[in-house]
Amino acid sequence: MDQPTDEVLLDIHRRMVRIRVFETEAGRMAEAGKIPGALHLYVGEEAVAAGVMAHLSDDDWITSTHRGHGHLIAKGGEFDRMFAELFGRATGYCRGKGGSMHISNMDLGMLGANGIVGAGPPIAVGAAFSTKFRNTDRVAVSFFGDGASNEGSFHEAANMAALYKLPAIFVCENNGYGEYTPQANHQAIVDVADRASGYGMPGVIVDGMDAVAVYEAAGAAIERARSGDGPTLLECKTYRFFDHVGVRGMGLSYRTDEELEEWQKRDPIHMFEARLDELGVLSRDDAAKIHEGVLEEVRAGIEFAESSPLPDPETLLEDVYA
Amino acid sequence: MRQGRTDTGTHLGVIGLVANPASGKDVRRVTARASVFDNQEKSAMVRRCLVGIRAFASAPIRYMPDPHHVARSAVDELRLAAEPLDIAIDANVGDTVRAARELRGAAAVIVLGGDGTNRAFAKGWLDAPLIALSTGTNNAFPTMQEATTAGAAAGVLATRELPLAAVARQAKAIHVDIDGEDPDLALIDAVFTRDRFVGARALDDPSRLVAAFLTRADPAGVGMTSVGGFVHPLSAAEDAALTVEFDASAPHGVNAALAPGRFERIGISKLRLLNFDDAIRWTGPGALAFDGERERILKVGQTATLTAARDGPWVVDVAKVLSHAVCRRPFTNA
Amino acid sequence: MAEAAQREITYVGAIAEGARTILNEQEGAFIAGEDVAGAGGVFGSYRGLLDEFGSDRIVDTPISEEGIVGLGVGAAATGLRPIIDIMFMDFMGECMDEIANQMAKMRYMFGGSAKLPITVVTMSGAGMNMAAQHSQSLEVWLCHLPGLKVVTPATPYDAKGMLIAAARDDNPVFVVMNKLSLRNQGPVPEEAYEVPIGAAEVVRAGDDLTFVSYSRMVSEAVKAAEALSADGIEAEVIDLKSLQPMDTDTVIESVQKTHRAVVVHEAVRFAGLGGEIAAQIQELAFDDLDAPVARVGAPFSPVPFSSVLEQTYLPNADKIAAEARQLLGM
Repeated sequence: MDQPTDEVLLDIHRRMVRIRVFETEAGRMAEAGKIPGALHLYVGEEAVAAGVMAHLSDDDWITSTHRGHGHLIAKGGEFDRMFAELFGRATGYCRGKGGSMHISNMDLGMLGANGIVGAGPPIAVGAAFSTKFRNTDRVAVSFFGDGASNEGSFHEAANMAALYKLPAIFVCENNGYGEYTPQANHQAIVDVADRASGYGMPGVIVDGMDAVAVYEAAGAAIERARSGDGPTLLECKTYRFFDHVGVRGMGLSYRTDEELEEWQKRDPIHMFEARLDELGVLSRDDAAKIHEGVLEEVRAGIEFAESSPLPDPETLLEDVYA
Repeated sequence: MRQGRTDTGTHLGVIGLVANPASGKDVRRVTARASVFDNQEKSAMVRRCLVGIRAFASAPIRYMPDPHHVARSAVDELRLAAEPLDIAIDANVGDTVRAARELRGAAAVIVLGGDGTNRAFAKGWLDAPLIALSTGTNNAFPTMQEATTAGAAAGVLATRELPLAAVARQAKAIHVDIDGEDPDLALIDAVFTRDRFVGARALDDPSRLVAAFLTRADPAGVGMTSVGGFVHPLSAAEDAALTVEFDASAPHGVNAALAPGRFERIGISKLRLLNFDDAIRWTGPGALAFDGERERILKVGQTATLTAARDGPWVVDVAKVLSHAVCRRPFTNA
Repeated sequence: MAEAAQREITYVGAIAEGARTILNEQEGAFIAGEDVAGAGGVFGSYRGLLDEFGSDRIVDTPISEEGIVGLGVGAAATGLRPIIDIMFMDFMGECMDEIANQMAKMRYMFGGSAKLPITVVTMSGAGMNMAAQHSQSLEVWLCHLPGLKVVTPATPYDAKGMLIAAARDDNPVFVVMNKLSLRNQGPVPEEAYEVPIGAAEVVRAGDDLTFVSYSRMVSEAVKAAEALSADGIEAEVIDLKSLQPMDTDTVIESVQKTHRAVVVHEAVRFAGLGGEIAAQIQELAFDDLDAPVARVGAPFSPVPFSSVLEQTYLPNADKIAAEARQLLGM
């Protein structure tokens, strides 16, 4: 397993901060009524997207979930066009036709957030099939949650990926809840990784709050995929700091504030910054500057979105067909 | 279930059961194709242990609760009167440490897990009478053995009719003092590496190894014990420790099983056999791995001082227990 | 079609020829589905292709319709041109999310940045004692989904030409075949050709009424027209061929001439495509109509097993002719 260089550490850090600040501000915008529709925020789970995506290039494919902003940001998504999409503007990545739940960018290899839980894994298998068909060393990573691991689509995809030895990586972001239902009430197992052996692939668990742990394990899985040895199921134990939809984190009836506080003590960005400071890779002051800089970018993105035109009603029927 | 019990249970010792749900699932499943051990199998092992225990003793059984219900599901299935330990469960290694503390004084404890689980247990109760059942391929301390008869041995030990020294051997332990921080412990090996993070924990890059401190060097083992074993075998019985210093560019080296399914050439620059009184010091920066997993970070200038002693767990020999028991009282049906 | 080659082959052979054409001309084309490779398709549609193109391009899949269609969606979105075989149309229930929520919408949801050149070949239709779960005609499910194209070749010529057109199209196209048509012989040119998607064909001219049909029911409508001809009634028969997009112009032109229309399909009549076609005719040609638009379809029942029940269930030439006579007040 490759240990991350300083450059990689800073890159992972930047990806995490970009997600955190974007999501926090997006949440504010939604609460202010500026972003319509449902917003599923990724705050708390940043280490997973950042740790995995640090290994990928634009030519590698990912499928995402309804909680998809973080994946797109980590894959290189730009704030202006992302906010424009969330605001339903013509300048958004999806020209205002997708919104939060379908945000995508094919040029960055991002096959979309997806409003259907569990729909992504079979599509990622198709993308992996594609890269193998063309003899490239590209991979496809499917992000999904503990909830999605109960969908038949996940099981069909896992079986096919292992059967064809496809360069696919199934990254389960186990945040302990399928929407509002605790994991103990939706599956009889706690480790989704246990399911891997049933399909003939390795299943691995890592601390999803530890970006380096994710980076190392994802690196091993991706290397395995690139060298033609087939898929891996990588389960990252993580936690959603905000609600299933929207922001409100505390005072929710389906989980306790104590539980949230326990997880927040292991905030992936705080833990990472503490260690980067210790290592002399990034001082506290410099980290704070990065947060500020990203916040500026986020604000510029929001401004871009707010000043962007709404879609022309004439475009309603465009792109139903190619 | 009445099959020639050895006692009625009135003055029996407690039998502890600790099954670590998190063992056997780390990144070595990918990097080295280590075995996969799911929780269904662990639960099945607990069930087999319970059947073994109950075949020979009605001793009180206390088990470590866990969010996966690895032990509880087996207990429920058998409708046994076994009690969970009254400990806080955080679904991390602290659970095992707390369970060990709570079990102090038990006649025998069956631990299902790997080196890491046994190490955690030892942190809570260093010289416990342990029956360590391995749940994976990457282990030096616990061994692969059948849970049913391991349970039976625990049942026999609960009668306290056998002196522990006759059927168990006390293991060595490595004591690690770290400047300004809580001390730590390892059972088989402590390794100093150039890693900057604990990360995904596995030790798999020989080029980052700095030094190792071993209580056991077994060429038939896997992991650091294999590395030491190919240089200078050291048995569990010898009152000594071994320290090895690594250098990838050193002319001397060994080809050793650094992980299951993986042989690596490891350059060795120095080797020293140590007495129990000898201490060695490692100075940061770097990472400390204990029994195969990166666990702690040493900051710049921070030192770790390591010594070995024979004050670790009493490792129960299941075969010896059962054969002693047979000699003393044939297991004839009532 | 009039100038088509003399050679006659079966409908099922025409599918294989169409597939072969596509595999030869498109590097990114592959066929995936249950038993398509080793078995050559349970209907024989892909016989011989495995030997010719190898297992990288003719891919046997597990029985996992959602996985298969998802694989097709992912492969298409990332630049390949999959031909996905769903053995029986009835199995769409297993993969409807990947069809309805992914395949049909991906391009639109992504603001036009994705392209999905995927072809799905599937079999519909009753008449083989395959009972309720292997005999349905569910094309209307697909026609209701913006983003999909749906074609229903009725002849060997169309089977080859529409499969080629579908596979060359940059959109998801469902090619819905009919099981009872598979052994039909017909003229099929050896060279590659397209039967355009979205163009209906008048397969029999007539002035007295119009049968609007598709798939296997076209031949039943032609038989009905011949029977009516004996009574001096000349029915025009339109083969829609493509249900989405639908060539409404050809239908309206005919109705403006004949002033009467009977829509004929094998699918259940209630909420079948006939309702949509009837509505379009009355919207676009109300003043031309001398009678309400009639519909012939299956009754509101699952497809039964026993032959006597199945034949009672199925629309046929007699039922179509009877409906026409009633429409004409005969």
